[in-house]
Amino acid sequence: MTIEAPPPSVRVDDLVLDGRLHLEDLVDRDGLDELCRSFVALFGIPVRIYSNEGGLLADTAIEHELCAYVNTTVEGRKACAATVGAVKARDAGESGDVLHPCFTGAAYRILALEYDGRRVGRLIVGPFLPPQVTEPLPSLLSIDAAIDKDRAQVLLGKMPRAKAETVTRITTHLKSALDLILFSGHKSFVTSKMHLASVRESYRQLEDKTARLQEAFDRLKELDRLKSNFLATVSHELRTPLTSIIGYSEMLVEGLAGELKPEQIEFVKTIHAKGGQLLSLIMSLLDLSKMESGTMRMTMRPVRIEAVMKEVVSTLLPTARKRGVKLQMSADASSLGEVRGDPERLRQVFINLVENAIKFTPSEGSVTLRAAMVDEDGDGGDDDAGLALLAPTRALVEVRVVDTGIGIPKREWGRIFDPFYQVDSSSTREYGGTGLGLSIVKRLVESHGGTIRIEDNPPRGTVFVVTLPQTSAGADVTSDARAPAESRPDG
Amino acid sequence: MRGIVQINFGGREIALKLVYYGPALSGKTTNLRSLHHLTTETSRGRLMTLETRDDRTLFFDMLPLTLRAETSVTGADRAGTPAGMTLRIKIFTVPGQVLHASTRRLVLQGADGVAFIADSQISETEHNAASFLDLRRNLKELNLSVKELPLVIQFNKRDLDRIRSDEELAALASRGREPVFRASAVNGDGVLETFFGLLDVTWRKLDREHQLAKLLGIASTELLPMAARQLGLETDVATLLSSCLGGTTQRTAEVSS
Repeated sequence: MTIEAPPPSVRVDDLVLDGRLHLEDLVDRDGLDELCRSFVALFGIPVRIYSNEGGLLADTAIEHELCAYVNTTVEGRKACAATVGAVKARDAGESGDVLHPCFTGAAYRILALEYDGRRVGRLIVGPFLPPQVTEPLPSLLSIDAAIDKDRAQVLLGKMPRAKAETVTRITTHLKSALDLILFSGHKSFVTSKMHLASVRESYRQLEDKTARLQEAFDRLKELDRLKSNFLATVSHELRTPLTSIIGYSEMLVEGLAGELKPEQIEFVKTIHAKGGQLLSLIMSLLDLSKMESGTMRMTMRPVRIEAVMKEVVSTLLPTARKRGVKLQMSADASSLGEVRGDPERLRQVFINLVENAIKFTPSEGSVTLRAAMVDEDGDGGDDDAGLALLAPTRALVEVRVVDTGIGIPKREWGRIFDPFYQVDSSSTREYGGTGLGLSIVKRLVESHGGTIRIEDNPPRGTVFVVTLPQTSAGADVTSDARAPAESRPDG
Repeated sequence: MRGIVQINFGGREIALKLVYYGPALSGKTTNLRSLHHLTTETSRGRLMTLETRDDRTLFFDMLPLTLRAETSVTGADRAGTPAGMTLRIKIFTVPGQVLHASTRRLVLQGADGVAFIADSQISETEHNAASFLDLRRNLKELNLSVKELPLVIQFNKRDLDRIRSDEELAALASRGREPVFRASAVNGDGVLETFFGLLDVTWRKLDREHQLAKLLGIASTELLPMAARQLGLETDVATLLSSCLGGTTQRTAEVSS
């Protein structure tokens, strides 16, 4: 399926194509300042860097002694401010390199800073003294009457001198260093923007997928609900005529419609038995749909589990004997106490488990029902960290249904409680069954606040372990809260 | 102006975006490196590569080329042309690895032309096809169509063993309408041919739609030779383009006339 996504919101072109790159975005100001300072330390000529927008990005202005002296006079200070202002405002011109003279005889060079073929700022170098200026110019001496020629001569000598070509060489070097810094800055800028854009784009795609999945999930949930409703309706409609079939065949066997020949009785008995099988299947389906829709009613009361077990054993003993399987139980009635539950439903749970165990155990094998008390964390699976913060330990009754049958492969353990699931579809033909039993058992156990799990029974066979909370200790906290009388399990 | 050439009258610029697409490790970045190496410094900028430690392209590579319109054309053709127009070409590569799908789409956005860099090795046939389908899908999502997009195909790695033969490529090229170039990008062979092939088909389409030649103040047939000159190439453009298999053939005649 192609996912039709809206076009991405960030454009790579925006990052690299157009002229909106600003010097401020590309450089680290402190780093730039440091570079300029090292430059000044090397050549003694001050450097300033302005962005296109007029921002001062690096300023290493040092006041030469001559400038300081001129600034002590009123007119000199005015003229100096005017020159500095003019330099600041001056464009680098068409050629990208202009010389701006100062009345002192010194000069400034104003150079265009280019990146990717575009001007992004200006580099101002100076003031420095061109070599041809050897003595104070009239423009300096006439600026203020207070200027002393001898003093000016001395201070002029202390100003850094540089030939035009020297300045060109120096600034070319500075510009190429700057270009590299700009390129690195640009690259990082693009990388981080791109990173964000990619993450945003991936996130948008994920969100899109999540929405689709949620939609599909909602639809499936709705379908599942419809299926359950359908199942409930159909089962109910099937049960009514089936009851008649069973009832009438029973009456025929009892001779209410006249004496039957022995062969006819056999046939009608078969009809009756198969009708019974069909009914129990329909009842299972009804149970399942009731549990799925949350409409199963249970009458909860204190139940002695060993009594339930005894009943189960006595019910299934004939079946076990017929198959040559040894069926036994062990339970210490004095220690077990009671569980809170619906005795009829608990019986259904264990009938189902034991019947299954007998079915899958070859003759000469055995099926054992064993009950014992355990602590809630006694299954060894959880670690006991933080237990002090959790609810007080509950006492649990654990009933194990142990067989020496064909066993269940470990990979199937996770799915065996799903409705209609069978470990091996060929087993349906060999052993019968609908695949509903275990899913009903699990739901029933859970609606009692209990759990069910599978274990191996080496060397062969399976153990189904059912745990149910005991009523006697902390009954108010546990079983009552989970399973009030006439409760409805979660739907 | 999504997906088409950007014309900026204020800045007197025309910006073209060309994208090198293709499967992982087909040599897209190598193409750009070679192009960078083969062209003169005055017209090309730095090659920006955003790659990982193992030399795989993470986001994209980008090589900027800047061509300035020469004032060689005079008379009626130049009437009303802003002086000093600049043609900026940005060549991008996409990250080929499958997992970078969203980045590929981001890079592809707004492309004026695409060079598809395929791997000539027979074993890579499937990857080439998968990447091409990926290109088509991404274009569709960007509301572009592969039919309308100027496209050239390069079969790279001609220097390796177990590759499709020239005859096979010629047969393949005659089936499609796109110009097909053979290259060994690592040795610089076929790189300029592919680039000029792409510039040619892209320029033709954009010139037809936006009269770019007039904007730049040059004759339509002058762009490629001008680009070659400014990029410092000694080879004749017609010679470069003549190495292509398939595609339209009138181009060569036009350029050399």
